[in-house]
Amino acid sequence: MQQIAETHHTGLIGSQPVPPQAIDEAKKLRREPGFPTAWLITLPTAWLILFLVLPLLGIIVFSFWSASGFGMEPALTLENYRAYFESEGFFDPEGDRFLTPSVFLRTLGSTLYFTLVVMVLCLIVGYPIAYFLAMQVQSFKWQMALFLLAMVPFWTSYLIRAVAWLPMLGRRGLLNTFLINIGVIDKPTSLLLYSEFGYTMALVQLYVVLCVGPIFFSLAKIDKAILEAARDMGATSFQIFREIIGPLSLPGVAIGMIFIFVMIMGEFATAVVVYGGKTTTTGTVILNYYAIANYPFAAVNALMLMLAMMIGVVVILRVVNIRKEL
Amino acid sequence: MTAKKPTRTNKGMSRRKFMGTTATAVAAGSFVGGFPSIGHGAETLRTIGLGVSIINEIQGKASQDLGISVRGQALGYGAMFGKMLNQNDQYEIAEGYFNDMDVFIPAKVWQPIDTQRIKDWDKVTDLAKTGKLTPESNAGQGDAPFRHLWLDADGNRVDGPSRYISMLPGWHNADSLGYNPEETGRDIESWAELFSDDFKGQVALLNVPQIGTMDAALAIEAMGAYTFKDKGNMTREEIDFLIKFLIDRKKEGHFRAFWETFGQSVNLMVSGEVALQSMWSPAVTAVKAEGVPCIYAFPKEGMRGWHGGLAISAKVTGSQLDAAYEYLNWWLDGWAGAFVARQGYYMSVPENVKKHLEPEEWDYWYMGKPAAKELPDPFDTIIVEKGEVRDGGSYWDRFSNIAVWNSLMDENDYLVKRWTEFLSA
Repeated sequence: MQQIAETHHTGLIGSQPVPPQAIDEAKKLRREPGFPTAWLITLPTAWLILFLVLPLLGIIVFSFWSASGFGMEPALTLENYRAYFESEGFFDPEGDRFLTPSVFLRTLGSTLYFTLVVMVLCLIVGYPIAYFLAMQVQSFKWQMALFLLAMVPFWTSYLIRAVAWLPMLGRRGLLNTFLINIGVIDKPTSLLLYSEFGYTMALVQLYVVLCVGPIFFSLAKIDKAILEAARDMGATSFQIFREIIGPLSLPGVAIGMIFIFVMIMGEFATAVVVYGGKTTTTGTVILNYYAIANYPFAAVNALMLMLAMMIGVVVILRVVNIRKEL
Repeated sequence: MTAKKPTRTNKGMSRRKFMGTTATAVAAGSFVGGFPSIGHGAETLRTIGLGVSIINEIQGKASQDLGISVRGQALGYGAMFGKMLNQNDQYEIAEGYFNDMDVFIPAKVWQPIDTQRIKDWDKVTDLAKTGKLTPESNAGQGDAPFRHLWLDADGNRVDGPSRYISMLPGWHNADSLGYNPEETGRDIESWAELFSDDFKGQVALLNVPQIGTMDAALAIEAMGAYTFKDKGNMTREEIDFLIKFLIDRKKEGHFRAFWETFGQSVNLMVSGEVALQSMWSPAVTAVKAEGVPCIYAFPKEGMRGWHGGLAISAKVTGSQLDAAYEYLNWWLDGWAGAFVARQGYYMSVPENVKKHLEPEEWDYWYMGKPAAKELPDPFDTIIVEKGEVRDGGSYWDRFSNIAVWNSLMDENDYLVKRWTEFLSA
């Protein structure tokens, strides 16, 4: 600081520009006494290393260990990966499993498929909600009130929200009773609960809030003056949406989609509760192998799931360059 | 009957509920243990097991009676299994299950138990010793206790009876099908009904591969569709047949759901979603408590049994070993047996349990007679109304016809893989 003051002497007209050299030196000096950043991140870093990086490395290491049938033994084997990818009869044109990938890959595939379907549905349902909140509700007070209202489901436990579908969709549930009363069906349908329909619907309801939030915020950030200007220039509502609102809300959409993607890829409880366990997700596979103490194989499944998630997130980020858009 | 009650009973339901349940259950199952500080600097025993036998009240009472400190740790099934096998210096007593013996006996992590140090060994019934509770009993396939009981002094298997045993037989039960008679319209007397077309779309199965397949195998055999050489240890071909059969049924829409936890099985029945399903007997009680008719089937082919017990770690020696034997003897003395009886489990020494139960309790829980008065669970909540009858008949009826015991198959990994395929189909 001393030196800066010295170089920063007053001249005839105001102050002299600081020589570039001095700036560098000043930066160095400023770093010296300053404790903040390094110390501030020590705790979070230690936390992350201890509870994220190390366990993650553990999972990677364990995936190469061998399962002893009731635990694991240190080894360096690709056996677990072989078991993961191997599909008997894959190359046998005669057999009924010709060109059928292993059940674990198929499970990962169906997990991904469900996730994508739910993401699309969440966007279809969530975007208009966010749009309405950000664009149609004028008063800030009401915006916040309605936004919090949309978040209400988050105030109850996840499991309760999932279980709440049972009295709604069940054979003797509200929906069935309603349909019978208005005469659409004459006996209860089982298609609502423990079905793909019920499962998808529950997932959308459970996760849609995750995309409403980010989309709402990126829509709310849009300067209303731009929209007015566009209208003055004769743009139609559709044009305004396509040229301005749409692109400007993309970061919110991307963040929302990443949230939903990551959450649903790891899903297992909803499939049990609302789908009656009639499907498997990679999450349930991991749980099943954990339960029989085959940790190495559970680790392989966990790694493959993580890999799929990372690829998915990268793809989403490729489509929308969040850094640039923000 | 409040809604809370079944949950309470649930705690001790079937040990298998801990397998393959959701993470919630796994978390909830951890560290239920109590740490009573009774005992005067004397021995400390650490015992691990499932919530079925590790209950604060039980280990606390043992500490009090024996003047030693018994600390229990209740774990989820996977964690219990791993700790018992890999860390036998972290416990003195293992409250394990006979269907895991194919792993534990060769691993030699437990020491052979000397029956001469078990005071009431001659009072332990023949169910665990010969598989025949009564002379005309059917021993049943699979990991029946008597097949894994007898050892020599070095811990190697021998054909019994011998002086040494792998584990002291303890609590046990038998499971079968539960049904709503109003929905089925008839009595269910055979496992075959599980796949009857009459109940298409109204059937649920337990989503634990090791047990779900066994219930299905019992049903397939009862239908006469296939005969398994040993339902307790299926070959790959048998597993393939079974899974294909199940996949075909699933595609036809035969199954309404697959349940994983006690509570789910109760909900399925109470909400009218299923008419018939594999079920644990205390769950039937819980359904009835909700006012929904439910009967526990007593299939002519027999029930599916499971059996727990107490083992001693190989690391235990000296005065601590004496304390371990004291704890084992205490379990057989009847108080603990009476405690678990009020949760619906049976104990290997019925005559000692009888001493600790009121006559009405004994008649209801063991003899299968109507309750002469209201009866409580171990925590003094009334769970049995006057006049109620326990399903499945008397203890001797139930256990003289066990079709198959819960088992760990040689092809367990293959079984789990194929089960995953079944659920994905």
